[in-house]
Amino acid sequence: MSDSGVQLTEVRKSYGSMEVIHGVNLSIPDGAFVVFVGPSGCGKSTLLRMIAGLEEVTDGEIAIKGREVTDVDPSQRGIAMVFQSYALYPHMTVRDNLAFGLKMQRTDKAVIDERVAAAAAILKIEQLLDRRPGQLSGGQRQRVAIGRAIVRQPEVFLFDEPLSNLDAELRVSMRVEIARLHRELGNTMVYVTHDQTEAMTLADVIVVLRDGRIEQSGSPRTVYEDPDNAFVAGFIGSPRMNLLDAVWRGDGKVELAGRMEAAPIAGAGLVPGDKVTFGLRPEHLIVGAAGGIEARVDVLEYLGGTRYLYCQLTDGQPLIVEYRDGPDVRSGDSITLGCPPDRRYIFNEGGLRIR
Amino acid sequence: MTGKKEARARRALLGAGGYHGTGILLAIFFLAPFAITILSSFRHGTEARLPPVPPWPTTGFSLDAYRSLDSFGAGVWQHTLNSAAVAIGTALLTVVVSLLAGYGFSRYRFMFKNALFVLIIATLMIPFQSILTPLFIILARLGLNNSLIGLTLVYVTLQLPFSVFMMRNAFDAVPKEIEEAARIDGARDLRLLVRVLLPLVLPGIVTVAIFAFLNSWNEFLAALVLLSDNSKFTLPILISAVRAGRLGAIDWGAVQAGVTVMSVPCLFVFLLLQRYYMRGLMAGAVK
Repeated sequence: MSDSGVQLTEVRKSYGSMEVIHGVNLSIPDGAFVVFVGPSGCGKSTLLRMIAGLEEVTDGEIAIKGREVTDVDPSQRGIAMVFQSYALYPHMTVRDNLAFGLKMQRTDKAVIDERVAAAAAILKIEQLLDRRPGQLSGGQRQRVAIGRAIVRQPEVFLFDEPLSNLDAELRVSMRVEIARLHRELGNTMVYVTHDQTEAMTLADVIVVLRDGRIEQSGSPRTVYEDPDNAFVAGFIGSPRMNLLDAVWRGDGKVELAGRMEAAPIAGAGLVPGDKVTFGLRPEHLIVGAAGGIEARVDVLEYLGGTRYLYCQLTDGQPLIVEYRDGPDVRSGDSITLGCPPDRRYIFNEGGLRIR
Repeated sequence: MTGKKEARARRALLGAGGYHGTGILLAIFFLAPFAITILSSFRHGTEARLPPVPPWPTTGFSLDAYRSLDSFGAGVWQHTLNSAAVAIGTALLTVVVSLLAGYGFSRYRFMFKNALFVLIIATLMIPFQSILTPLFIILARLGLNNSLIGLTLVYVTLQLPFSVFMMRNAFDAVPKEIEEAARIDGARDLRLLVRVLLPLVLPGIVTVAIFAFLNSWNEFLAALVLLSDNSKFTLPILISAVRAGRLGAIDWGAVQAGVTVMSVPCLFVFLLLQRYYMRGLMAGAVK
């Protein structure tokens, strides 16, 4: 058990008769950086708040470092949390904000000063210690909020969309900073976001949630390259994976827009004639491939390094293509598209991946 | 070029002059009654009986009016003390109760929460004069009639609906995350309330305190009905006695002195706390 930072066992949460978290099982290794992603309302924040002890657990068990904490007070769980809105105490100076938790634990003053100074040094906010939160910029406030977490020396850091309130540029630099912090401190970190760039770049393990259930958890590479179902395939990756209606024709073939396409699967559990979903990532599509599927370009977005082509197949299904180099393409043009066989994903009618 | 510049400067001067002129005029308009009252309270006893033109003492500064005021009832000190005890007691008790009630209504989930809150607010619609008789009977049953504590309790009751509403708004304006951060930091219950939340709802508290203080300091009817002992009268009742006069003669100097004694603490409280009070009202308004 000691190698587990956070252990969730059959964790459920209901509000009245409505269950919002449906029996989540998750083992977070000690020292890992785990990111919960999912669309809004998927329960990722609720799950984090349950780990923090801010939401009651209806059923199941939560353990932190092998110690069962399901009904333990938030301050006694060995966690620290960074909120989206920073949640600094506006009437206290930065120094008092950092020291408040330790003061509540009646820590020795010398120890408090030492830890506050250390945290301030890590985050480079020494010169801000005597200011109040109202006098700080968004990025500085976020640093103070992280500092308040560091000072507590928790087993587990919890981040609830910490960068959502920052502007794009600051978000990138704070993202790097959080990654650096994780490397330096080596603590377990649980991080909630709906931004998949944050998820992909920060995570050791990504947990994709939908409607209070874990859809898949694994390394960023696993969830991107080997998604378990159509939801994860569509959610991870930007622009999202093209999920096209197709029909399984057996013998490693699917029919897509009136054409036979090779599908790299044996087709266990499928009967010829079954409806399937054919998944193709925009970045894997090759424009101008000989013998490829035909499409017409509707709209073209030029992003400098790359271009997104919003196309239609001959049967009218929309499709996005990422197009990096090659001859110019205009809207209205007809193009042919190819895709390497090992980059083709097939999902059954229920959305499950067929391998 | 210069002509344009001059014209602009002239217009700016005119604008500023108009702005400040209007302000000064309004200030005089509002301050004049205070000045007239306070100044004429220092006139000589004989002079006080003359028409109040000019309002200031012309035959020298004198405390006659205050001495005369002191001869009414149980002495002005006693009545001021009564009023102060009732007003401060009302303010303190109102703050404590509405702080806890506002916190509860803002943060906790319980059965009939909204119905209960509406019920509390709805009592604002009942004119309190109409419940004076039942109040009198209840206080009598409790053995609290003709007592300043009973009067304080009545004032607190009358003050609470508005105060609870005010404090709930104040707590609603405090982000939930701050409270959660404090819980994670290990602050719970009373410590959470005092160390973290109290400073954040201070404007609301000050507003509630000012309202409670002023309303109970100035209240007349309930005090008149519920108090029967001369020595327990509050200032408004004393003033009404002074205003009624003795043997048909009204000592206007004493009336002016009484009004001064009554209004100075109000001014003082308001000036001292107005900074918070303004913030409190606005916090309630935009929420």
